[in-house]
Amino acid sequence: MTNLSPETTTGAPILTPVRRGRISGLRAVLPTWSPRLGVGLGLVAVIALFGIFGPLFVGDPDAIRDAGLAPPGHGHLLGLTQTGQDVFAQLAYATRGSLQIGLIVGVLATVLSAFFGVIGAYAGGAVDEVFSLFSNIMLVIPGLPLVIVIAGFVPPESRGAWTVALVLASTGWAASARVLRAQTLSLRNRDYVAAARVAGEKRWRVITVEILPNLLPLLASQFVFAVIAAILSEAGLSFLGLGASNSSTLGTMLYFAQNGFALQRDAWWWFVPPGLIIALFGCGLSLINFSIDEIINPKLRVAGRRRRAERPETREVAEVEDDVVLSVDHLDVVYRTATPVHAVKDVSFTLRRGEILGLAGESGCGKTTLAYAINRLHRPPAEVTAGAVVLHDRDGSDIDVPALEREELRAFRWDRLSMVFQGAMNALNPVTTVRSQLDDVLTTHRPDLPKAQRKAKCEEVLRLVGVDPARLGSYPHELSGGMRQRVMIAMALLLDPQVMIMDEPTTALDVVVQRGILKQILRLRDEFGIAVVLITHDLPLLLEIADRIAVMKDGEIVEFAAAERVYRSPSHPYTRTLLASFPSLTGERGAFLRDQALADGGVR
Amino acid sequence: MSYYLRKLAFYLVALWAALTLDFFILRLLPGNPVDVLLAKLAQRGGAPDPSVRRAYELLLGTHSDEPLWSQYVSYLDRLRHGDLGVSVSVFPAKVSDVIAQALPWTLVLVGIATLLSFVLGVGLGVIVGWKRGTWLDALVPGTTVLAAVPYFWLALLLAALLAGALGWFPLLGGYDVALDPGWNADFIGSAVYHGTLPALTIVVSSVGGWLLGMRNMMVSTGSEDYVLTAQAKGLRDGRVMLRYAARNAVLPSVAGFAISLGFVVSGSIVTEQVFAYPGIGSKLLQAVQNNDYALMQGIFLIITVAVLGANLVIDLLYGLIDARTRARA
Repeated sequence: MTNLSPETTTGAPILTPVRRGRISGLRAVLPTWSPRLGVGLGLVAVIALFGIFGPLFVGDPDAIRDAGLAPPGHGHLLGLTQTGQDVFAQLAYATRGSLQIGLIVGVLATVLSAFFGVIGAYAGGAVDEVFSLFSNIMLVIPGLPLVIVIAGFVPPESRGAWTVALVLASTGWAASARVLRAQTLSLRNRDYVAAARVAGEKRWRVITVEILPNLLPLLASQFVFAVIAAILSEAGLSFLGLGASNSSTLGTMLYFAQNGFALQRDAWWWFVPPGLIIALFGCGLSLINFSIDEIINPKLRVAGRRRRAERPETREVAEVEDDVVLSVDHLDVVYRTATPVHAVKDVSFTLRRGEILGLAGESGCGKTTLAYAINRLHRPPAEVTAGAVVLHDRDGSDIDVPALEREELRAFRWDRLSMVFQGAMNALNPVTTVRSQLDDVLTTHRPDLPKAQRKAKCEEVLRLVGVDPARLGSYPHELSGGMRQRVMIAMALLLDPQVMIMDEPTTALDVVVQRGILKQILRLRDEFGIAVVLITHDLPLLLEIADRIAVMKDGEIVEFAAAERVYRSPSHPYTRTLLASFPSLTGERGAFLRDQALADGGVR
Repeated sequence: MSYYLRKLAFYLVALWAALTLDFFILRLLPGNPVDVLLAKLAQRGGAPDPSVRRAYELLLGTHSDEPLWSQYVSYLDRLRHGDLGVSVSVFPAKVSDVIAQALPWTLVLVGIATLLSFVLGVGLGVIVGWKRGTWLDALVPGTTVLAAVPYFWLALLLAALLAGALGWFPLLGGYDVALDPGWNADFIGSAVYHGTLPALTIVVSSVGGWLLGMRNMMVSTGSEDYVLTAQAKGLRDGRVMLRYAARNAVLPSVAGFAISLGFVVSGSIVTEQVFAYPGIGSKLLQAVQNNDYALMQGIFLIITVAVLGANLVIDLLYGLIDARTRARA
């Protein structure tokens, strides 16, 4: 369901590729409207307008009056400085100065980081090595001390705004270059970029047309960061007395205020406003950046509502047949999004002990949602709106899953019903060993089990699925895909569950490994009598190993019958279409229906 | 090449780059700084004997008949012996002594404050990110305001409030000057008392960044399959949060911690200026204001080496907490 790129764990943000169509591309680059964005844009706009037009309307900021440190009022909106200069007038000019520096440094730093990050990563090879080494060195050499040393060497008379801006830009681009590099590397390997290259597009064209548009949100966010950082650094530098000479920025204002003992003399109107403007401007930019971040990483956008879902309405439970271990009755799951999606509609089925129940259907038909809802693993905005899930325990009691309290649900999971997820690549925790991931199931569910027995149990389940117990000490990345899936199955066996839900356990594995794993599933069923719900889009596979098959379409089960009957006389037209779409071994599409070869034999 | 060797090689190259940068910056000085320096020295009662002049000429590379490369070699050679020259502003103290005296103050103050801020920010970020959709989300915009406030402005306001108006903390200095520096309870107590407010300002202004970064990573890892698996396994919520989500989400923050060390040192310069703290940052400013090139060069070098060393330690640590890093190299 959620196949994430490995970049997540290495720090690079995940960027959803912008579609190639111009209009949809543009829309994807623009942030969605939110109150946060509104406040941010408002703050930035007001302060920018003040900086641009303010100086036109205020008087001479350097005019000296003989009423030093007069408080606000009396014709001076924000009072006077020590030497009787109008604080408001100074503020207007200083804001302009700070914005100028911020803008210049922002542009310069972004250009530098784009050059070293994007070009290097795209070119690859030696260029990348050199660029990346250079960025990394610039990154670890501390910036401000370098700036101070450089500023100290440049005599004050030749230390203009541009000098300061250049120094700040040249020491401030490296972190952003690293982020851009990581992102470019991941974009470069995306299919559509590879396709453009194979199609023989020119290198500059691939960079400007295929890569840059997708980097835009990230570039924008880095630019915003650079502007904030520049304004803050310039203020710091000016405060230390090392800023641009003959220039007026919020930093120099603070420098004079501090040296005039503004705070000690309670002249807050002199000291507070410049800092406040910086803070508000930075805050506004950060709020804008939040919205940009949500484009870069869409996961941040979906508001995770955590309200306690109401008890779904229960519908009349059908009479339980013999030997049923799990019954699902009239289950409804709705995604409460802007346009609600009814992902699972009135689904009912029963699972017998020791049975393999196949759940087939194309992607997006609601198979996985159904599997999650059974174990209450669905997350907002998905919500179970109606239906019952009952597990008929070995000891004769019935467990009403939707009614379980938090702690009861926790104890129920894995102990009675375990799951094997789609894509074992991501289902194992990448930073801990196989041992610890098997062991914590036992320490949680069987706290009384001594250590030696836990170890024995872990080794036993690994042997069951044909994995060498020596692999307990391995990390997931040291195992092959097939082995990881086996480890997941072993993990699912740890507590002798009565039901195992397997969601596409063999997709993304090669055919030989696939066969091996299916064989294992059949053996487990035969040996332990575990009931298995096997979810897959691969109908022929289910025909081979499942006892009964449910076919799902648009959230509904349209066909539910013994495998044999589904194969010989499918009742729903969709099942027939599905069967007809698989080619037989002879390669003819549709021939599968007529081909009898696979009916018996299976994989045993 | 193994992961560790690669890292070591990188830091050696970075160190060399920093040393070289340091060497050339001094050579780019306009005019004839040696005469300026010697005049200054004479004003302070220093004896401008030829050996001192020679030392400065070597340092600054002026009036020297030596070719550049041989100056460079002798510069590296002097560094190898720990010879950083003689300070002008605190003549005749050796630069290395000045640094040795100031460095512990900065290391302890900034080190503790940064660590506190990191632990606090990451810890809060884990909880805020995990309990997403609750009232805790309201903390997030607050952190941006803190991150956008100029540090020194906030520090001065806090100082005016907590030290000035309320009188809870001393306003300036690293210890009570009436006491003799040494390893006794009085002095250490005084140093801790003086360091609390500066440390507090550092924590307040930097904790938001860690919180936000960690929170965003927690949100991302929260939807990873292994977190879902952990929940399906029926593990306790606390364990899923820490062992599965946070354990993965913290990796970028640890990497970020290394990068931030450079900024930390930078921040300390301003901190020390605000609180007149007797650390390496105020010495650097003092050196800049007095054209004390040797001290400037020395301090820049020490800061760079310290940051590189800390980065190396964190990189090695990173290899320990994420096994994949070792495999990839």
